[in-house]
Amino acid sequence: MPDVDVLVVGAGPAGAVAAWHAKLAAPELDVVLLERDRAVGAPVRCAEGVGDAGLREFANPDGADWVSRQITDVIFQAPDDTEVVLAGSGLGWILDRTRFDAHLAAEAAAAGAEVLVGAEATAMSRNGEERWQVRVKERGREDVYRARVVIGADGVETMVGRWAGLDTRVPSRDMESCAQYVLQGIDFNPDAIYLQFSNAIAPGGYAWIFPKAVGVANVGLGIVALKTDGRNARQYLDDWVARRFPNAARTGYTVGGVIVHTTIKKTYGDGVLVAGDAAHMINPLSGGGINNAMKAGRLAGCTAAAAVRENDTSERRLARYHEAWMEMLGEDHLKYYRIKQALEHMDDAFLNSLARTVNKVPATKRTIGRVFTHALIRHPLLIPVAARFFV
Amino acid sequence: MRRVTPDTIAVVDLGVCDRCGLCLPLCPPEAIHLELNILTVDDAACTGCEKCIAPCPVGALAMVAYA
Repeated sequence: MPDVDVLVVGAGPAGAVAAWHAKLAAPELDVVLLERDRAVGAPVRCAEGVGDAGLREFANPDGADWVSRQITDVIFQAPDDTEVVLAGSGLGWILDRTRFDAHLAAEAAAAGAEVLVGAEATAMSRNGEERWQVRVKERGREDVYRARVVIGADGVETMVGRWAGLDTRVPSRDMESCAQYVLQGIDFNPDAIYLQFSNAIAPGGYAWIFPKAVGVANVGLGIVALKTDGRNARQYLDDWVARRFPNAARTGYTVGGVIVHTTIKKTYGDGVLVAGDAAHMINPLSGGGINNAMKAGRLAGCTAAAAVRENDTSERRLARYHEAWMEMLGEDHLKYYRIKQALEHMDDAFLNSLARTVNKVPATKRTIGRVFTHALIRHPLLIPVAARFFV
Repeated sequence: MRRVTPDTIAVVDLGVCDRCGLCLPLCPPEAIHLELNILTVDDAACTGCEKCIAPCPVGALAMVAYA
């Protein structure tokens, strides 16, 4: 029955950064990072796009082997395929998540955290004691870890939150059902990400092309089931790909859920914190979650480390994590969520006319801000969408 | 907690399920579990609300008569 100071469940970006920064903040602590799957970073359930500025707070992408492609442009596509090119508007990166997640886990290990793969937390209880008892199955054997603080970074399923009694449920209207192929041999601008908005193609979400190399891209879409005509995400994707890329080779396939809501009301309890997707810390407009997860992981790791050092891992002490998160990004997500709700009423005819109007602006003067300026007449809430879309 | 026995409950087709976990936070009574790569629906807890059915990206969940 190992005793640890901080036990992190889930070795995605939130968990790996949490373990890493807990050790940086307090090197004397025992920090263990658990990964359920046999490899950190696999299977990939992600479109792998990330903004430049947020990423650089944690890792330098220049020349890194965990980067697939640098992105400089954003291309919006209307329902009728009219393109609005915004050159130089979207500095960012398409990651190779299998390598990127492993890189972050290696940073945690280099700082002194113990990383365990193929180790799944299956239950957690406290029974009024000072430490959480976490049941962990690893290669057919079962251990019980006794942890001062458990950090739940276990993604959309968020079992740690559930075990700790936090409300992590999601209303159906705020769940994006996503499906994605890796397509090879397709023709597109490899320096741009493409976002197509259409109720016929991806109701309640959007379809995307995120380049991984010349001719190779993550091609996927997200939908809200309540708005569909009865097809599931994979069926919507098959129909879109058949029309846009009928001759492509499909060399990869993934599905998953993206929670486009706002941060759960309470991300902490006695001896427990939840971070990243598990706490619904996703930009509800873009569906982007990697930078959010790393920022939350850093806060969680540092808060947990300080709390253990002070010998106070009470709910009251750990509440500071929630306050810091809400100040940093959580309050912004509340605003984005309201904008998302306002955007839901744009129909395909309006999106088509918007694209044509915006294209009358010369390309050199065409900025995301101007695109949204043209949309303002009918949708005044759109203004702040622009600059913040890829945060 | 007492519940009214539903006429139908959710079941998963493990041959189709991709283990993505999307359905877990959608389930109001938290009746869906994913452990050791196997998704299960607790038929004693499922209320038959169908909230998990349409969002499944691959259509792995369906309602069946509760026997």
